[in-house]
Amino acid sequence: MKRCIIIGQPNVGKTMFALHFAEYLGLAKARIAFAEAGGRRWEAAYSMAAARTTLTSSAPHHTRQLQSLTLELPAGKGTKHLELVDTSGLVDGIHPDATIRRAMAQTLAAVREAKVILHMLDAAALGAGGAVDTIGEVDYQVAQFAQLRGGYLVLANKMDLPGAEDGLARLRREFAGHRIAPVSALHKQGFDEVKAFVWRHT
Amino acid sequence: MATRADRPSNPDEVLDWLSEGRLTPAEAFALFRTLLPAERNAGAVRGAGARKARGVSGSNPAEAGDRRGRRNKGAAMPGRGGPVGEDSALRSDATAGDDEAAARAGRLHAVLDELDGLIGLDSVKQLVRELQAFVEIQRRRAQEQLASEAMALHMVFKGNPGTGKTTVARVLGRLLKEMDALPKGHLVECERADLVGEYIGHTAQRTREHIRRAMGGILFVDEAYSLARGGEKDFGKEAIDTLVKAMEDHKDEFVVILAGYRAEMDYFLMSNPGLKSRFPIQMEFPDYTSDELLRIAHHMCEQRQYRLSPAASRRLLRILEQHADGNPYLGNARFVRNVIERAIRRQALRLVTRRTLTRADLMTLEASDVWEAATG
Repeated sequence: MKRCIIIGQPNVGKTMFALHFAEYLGLAKARIAFAEAGGRRWEAAYSMAAARTTLTSSAPHHTRQLQSLTLELPAGKGTKHLELVDTSGLVDGIHPDATIRRAMAQTLAAVREAKVILHMLDAAALGAGGAVDTIGEVDYQVAQFAQLRGGYLVLANKMDLPGAEDGLARLRREFAGHRIAPVSALHKQGFDEVKAFVWRHT
Repeated sequence: MATRADRPSNPDEVLDWLSEGRLTPAEAFALFRTLLPAERNAGAVRGAGARKARGVSGSNPAEAGDRRGRRNKGAAMPGRGGPVGEDSALRSDATAGDDEAAARAGRLHAVLDELDGLIGLDSVKQLVRELQAFVEIQRRRAQEQLASEAMALHMVFKGNPGTGKTTVARVLGRLLKEMDALPKGHLVECERADLVGEYIGHTAQRTREHIRRAMGGILFVDEAYSLARGGEKDFGKEAIDTLVKAMEDHKDEFVVILAGYRAEMDYFLMSNPGLKSRFPIQMEFPDYTSDELLRIAHHMCEQRQYRLSPAASRRLLRILEQHADGNPYLGNARFVRNVIERAIRRQALRLVTRRTLTRADLMTLEASDVWEAATG
């Protein structure tokens, strides 16, 4: 099974993207395998709507473990399996909460084995140009690390919000040389480019 | 560990440090960048080193050493390479025979190993072993001037297509050659169309031609029951008569194997009472179970330097089980071989447009390849 991992800072919309992208690829029911950093594993099935309300939130660090969705996609006459892995957000600096630190370590471990890395950034927050720079040191390091590997795609999320176009322009400057796909996880916009990319690299 | 390093030395340590709060995620990624490619490169170097080492041992360093030594002494190079070469050059003719016998025993073992390497076919292997023992003892008895039975090694192979009849026949030919029971041990395959002629007298001529070619080896008549199909006036009967006559005339000089479906062969032997007594050895080739077929598939992949992914393996087993319920004449191992060969082509089609390919990609047959190969 090919692993496609979604990483990025907290609250950029990774979980929402994972759920909606899975739905876009034809998944009707979200059957999610959770894997906590401590080793605990469990599974739960949600309807898409229930998954959205339970798993996503407007507060950062809602996701604290790996959450994977297995997709069975038709490929020619057979099927191919794709594991879409949603991860806990990566922060700059050392997080005080040990649980979150462990979750981040788990994210990195999963990155090692991933075939495709989807790196998500919040284009709207970038465009708004707040006091705090929303492109973190971790984002630059991820880009540098991931360019050594095959399937690396930058997702500029929240394109539906005002100011996102400016954010996208800035991303294109900062991440020049990397492929950038503008998307709106909430409204399922721009998914076909992501799909084509994931398809080619799995 | 008493003192800890100021920097993790491998990717796993990076993860530990990250969860202990001694690294930021950004630092962790930076370290990954330096450590992970290093890890991969190290693997590549290790692989190359191992290949190199194997290459050296393959070209036999002892031989190289020997040559150097001999050149220093000013001795002539022996004709045969290797450390044994030096000894045999000094040996007298009397011991050369032992050498030959040892080589023969080695070849015999190789053939038996090959037989054991065939998957399933337990009853067949048992029977071949029996035969081997019988031939060997008859030879020893002859050496001791004891009455030895004339060896009638003609056989009937009964089983569905693709159950290993031809393969076993081929191994058997080599086995009998190594045991001195047959001078050449080659296999001449033929079927009704090869033996039966178009006009009166033609059949005997064609059959004799095949027998002449099989002299010193094995004449393998596939689907032999079809020779008796046409009734009294059919030329098939003439072919059988010619065959039987040749078996009498050239008793120990060649072996005839009649092969075919079990039910048809039973009927064939029943309708020709003379035949049954002339073919004392009857081997049954049972159909393979799906597990055996899966092992055959893995073996075939291995031979071709491919491997089945676990999912592909499960998929294939399911396909084989479905087929087992349906058609008993489906071809057994031949079906598996066709599926594997087609899957290899499907894999090529799947990979040819890819930009980056790893060694593993090139070797692995995925479930989709197998599925398309079996259904498409």
